[in-house]
Amino acid sequence: MPALSTWRSQRLPRTPRRGRALALLLAAALPLPGLAASCPEADPEALEWLDKMSRSSHHTAYHGVVTLQRGEDMQVMQISHSVSGGASSEQLTKLTGQGAQVVREEHPLNCVHTGHRLLQLGARLESGECGVASYYRFQVAPGERIAGRKAVQVRVEPRDMYRYGYLLELDRETGLLLRSSTLGRGDLVLERFQFANLSFGAPMPSSGDIDVVYEAGHPTPSLDTGEVGVTWTIGWLPRGFAPTESGPAVSGRRTYTDGLAAFSVFLEPLSRDIRSGEGVAREGSTTSYTRGLSLSGQPVLVTVIGEVPVNTARMVADSVRWTP
Amino acid sequence: MTERMRESLSAIMDGEADDLELERVLRQIGEDSELRQTWMRYHAVHAACSSAAGNVQHFSDLSIDISSRVRDAVAGEQTAGASRWQGLVRPVTSFAVAASVAATVVFGGQQLAQLGGAAESADAATIAGGVSPVGLVNSLGATSVQASLGTQPVPVLEPATRTAYRELARQRLHQYSQEHAEQAALNTPQGLLPFARVHRIQE
Repeated sequence: MPALSTWRSQRLPRTPRRGRALALLLAAALPLPGLAASCPEADPEALEWLDKMSRSSHHTAYHGVVTLQRGEDMQVMQISHSVSGGASSEQLTKLTGQGAQVVREEHPLNCVHTGHRLLQLGARLESGECGVASYYRFQVAPGERIAGRKAVQVRVEPRDMYRYGYLLELDRETGLLLRSSTLGRGDLVLERFQFANLSFGAPMPSSGDIDVVYEAGHPTPSLDTGEVGVTWTIGWLPRGFAPTESGPAVSGRRTYTDGLAAFSVFLEPLSRDIRSGEGVAREGSTTSYTRGLSLSGQPVLVTVIGEVPVNTARMVADSVRWTP
Repeated sequence: MTERMRESLSAIMDGEADDLELERVLRQIGEDSELRQTWMRYHAVHAACSSAAGNVQHFSDLSIDISSRVRDAVAGEQTAGASRWQGLVRPVTSFAVAASVAATVVFGGQQLAQLGGAAESADAATIAGGVSPVGLVNSLGATSVQASLGTQPVPVLEPATRTAYRELARQRLHQYSQEHAEQAALNTPQGLLPFARVHRIQE
């Protein structure tokens, strides 16, 4: 598997195995000096797995069949990811339902987006940055076999009520995310995606009838909401959520991520008054919260869509303001 | 179309429908062409009457004035050469949304008008007694949280408004999910998987 060995040789210099073993030993015996000072509850092993997961999702060449379960609904799709010349290409082909394919070509490996930057703490953790550890608690345990691979389990529990929990199961060898379950209150599984089979190396040709091919944009999406002509701000965000891009203040959409979850806020000025109110639609782990309100006399519709609880969406929508 | 459905429809027209009736009609309107036709006819008559009575609400309200976006979505699906009515009837989902919003905007028009603009203060007074119960029990034993910022209280909604808003949230989910997925795919660990959450991928 040439691609894998390439990845390994790239990866090893960053975090030598020796270092990890040492960190583990230290964590077990006594608190790490730098770590203990600012992130007393951070689990270095879990954070290292998340770091590895994030990097391997970009640097590894793999392909396989994936299922996505949301309530009664189950979708099957093919995913392939290849790496060449410092860039990665990704492809998702739906095998059930709509004959659609999403491709993202030539994504530079050195372009690390906000969400992955929050996961790839690396050396920053030792310099006192807690990152995801400040709003999630982690627990690492041995996992079962998934898609024929030995997995390690990282249980992710939110420290507040503004986000969901996760059960992430990673490939023991590469760190690739093999199964991810989104957990709501009482560990209710809201969504689960998992590899049914997985191979490393050159991508397989995509199969199936495809009617629609969508080329995912980078870095700014081509499917932009456009400008709304007014500047607006969001007064409140749950801790740890950072903007995914620095769009213009007049753009109709803003997206925020904490590394594991993301939500987008859409603003539409309306041409006439509407009765103020709110509505919620939910699908799996996705919440859509729409709020009609008046901002300084201007009727607007604020919609928050994302993999966060309804209350988070409501509070964010509640804090939208005009910027004078 | 059943007699019961006709009654529900009539109740909506008179602004007397309860939440259940409105829901029943909305559920059916996508599948029942006779129901759609009747709704159109009723509405046409209603709109004509309103115009005659000097009401500013016009026939065009059917294609929604709540937001140009919805109007555009509906208009966008009209095929060239097809009449306005055919165009409206065909896109079932858009139509259902249009119907629900129109039900609020048009049929609830009188009440909406009362709430508009100058009624802000009156609105605020009502709100004081009826802030939506957004509090949640903290099951995780973590820090106690604020359930609402409390700066923009949500009034208790009337059944018809509530249904229309729920429909609006559902419709917005379909409209925006691909744009959200685009961002989520770059910023969450599952790669392109967020696109699998999108109902219909569009080019």
